[in-house]
Amino acid sequence: MNEIEIRGLVRDYGKGRGVFGLTLEVEAGEALGVLGPNGAGKTTTLRHLMGFLRARQGSVRIGGMDCFAQAREVHRRVGYLPGEVAFPDDMTGREFIAFVAGVKGVHGLGRARELADRFELDDTAKLRKMSKGNRQKVAIVCAFLQDAPVLLLDEPTSGLDPLMQNRFVQLVQEEHGRGKTILLSSHMFEEVERTCGRAAILRDGRLAAVQPLDELRRSRARQYAADFASAEAAARFAAGWPGAAADGCRVVADAGSDLPALLRALSGQPVVSLAPCSQSLEESFMQYYGRDAK
Amino acid sequence: MNGTLFRRGMQTSWKITALLAAVLSLYISMIVSMFDPKLGESLAAMAESMPQLFAAFGMDQPGATLTEFMANYLYGFLLVVFPLVLALLLVWRLIARPSDRGDLVWMLSGAQGRLRVLLSQLGALVCCQLLLAVYCAALGAGCAGAMFPGELDLPAFLRMNAGLFGLQLFLAAACVLLACLFGEMRRGFGVGAGLCALFLLLKMLSDAGEKAELLRWFTPLSLFDPDGLLAASGSAAMGAAVLYLGAAGMLAAACVRFCRRDLAL
Repeated sequence: MNEIEIRGLVRDYGKGRGVFGLTLEVEAGEALGVLGPNGAGKTTTLRHLMGFLRARQGSVRIGGMDCFAQAREVHRRVGYLPGEVAFPDDMTGREFIAFVAGVKGVHGLGRARELADRFELDDTAKLRKMSKGNRQKVAIVCAFLQDAPVLLLDEPTSGLDPLMQNRFVQLVQEEHGRGKTILLSSHMFEEVERTCGRAAILRDGRLAAVQPLDELRRSRARQYAADFASAEAAARFAAGWPGAAADGCRVVADAGSDLPALLRALSGQPVVSLAPCSQSLEESFMQYYGRDAK
Repeated sequence: MNGTLFRRGMQTSWKITALLAAVLSLYISMIVSMFDPKLGESLAAMAESMPQLFAAFGMDQPGATLTEFMANYLYGFLLVVFPLVLALLLVWRLIARPSDRGDLVWMLSGAQGRLRVLLSQLGALVCCQLLLAVYCAALGAGCAGAMFPGELDLPAFLRMNAGLFGLQLFLAAACVLLACLFGEMRRGFGVGAGLCALFLLLKMLSDAGEKAELLRWFTPLSLFDPDGLLAASGSAAMGAAVLYLGAAGMLAAACVRFCRRDLAL
């Protein structure tokens, strides 16, 4: 059964911006990542799911309910982390969390305390004096405090340091394990890779692909940089490995889905060092879509 | 209305309300203490020397009684402008700014529904306006009773205050409605605030001289007639009723619009 259903959603902001005929489904208990560069339509989609925007065309439903007309009922089932976090200036983190708990009708702040401890959040400071990372932690606590069955997370680790990003990933994995339906938007491939079972890729407001992460992972380029003892050896190897490029003594080679084959090919060569190349989302997209990705 | 949101709204608003109440305390006590029929004669003489300036600020008729004196020096300008400033500041803080800044998202995602969220904010707005109005009326009546026992016509004074509150509600409601009508609420609020300033200016110009008297038809401030309310005039009561009904209509329209509009949060 689908918990989240978006069918033929259109929101045209002009100049090619918006969402155009988006259809997407998330099954109950599934974690779906929505990947896409800035301006791809991720936040617009989530705003429709929260009922902040009314669908001009198409329908947007959570739990079978219309997200705009039945927003109040929908919000009872949803924990939402907005992409752009804004707070009142005059409150401390703790006061704000208590305020949000009050608005949501959450009794007791045990869960909030647990989350604050988990993210090592000092919530006694004024929100306006907090760093971006700490403000994001406050937002995470607010999104997760009512134990909602559906979680809509818009670029949730924005501003968090790598350690806290890991803790957030663990939290999402736990919630997923408890049967929560999760829709996580991000432009970080790794974040989606570690938390979701499927990924939808948005491009220019349109759905470019929906794939299980395993397939996407397989199709993603796996590049390695090998430093050779000499430029000649590097050039020789590059000439024999499809798609490899030599730059002096260094060769960047794509292992594809068969890393052992690359290792075998390198084993007889005068290789001084070997390291994986990190691949940005843009590079992933270029790999996935070729030149049209931009 | 949601209790948490209402309390938060009051928390956001009470300091400004208290500040304006303190400023008005000074004016009200000072002006009431100035009442003196003999001083009234000298003020009348001064008003004759600068009739347009006095008229522009609604102080052209000093009045023979304490109630008329207060109507002239307090309810013609000061008690219109300061509560209007409060209304504008609160509409900005409670309604336009949360949408503009984005923290409205936390109020709306709390499963309260848009109508309840807006009603909670409006509740805090009207409550603060009412507190200021009641405080000013009580202070005015208290000062009058302490300094000039038996001089104040209390029923007439209360009628005038009721009319003034209708005007404040009307102007606040106009700002709320405009904020809700515009795509960006801050722009709507800006138009509303500008309109209120324009209404005030038109009222001052129309009071200043016969040439500009026609302008009184273009400002809702003309619907508040302190002298008419003191005299229990039917047309003044009708004007006040129009202000209350207009305020209720605009607030209802604002609620409908707020519930249907897109919010880029």
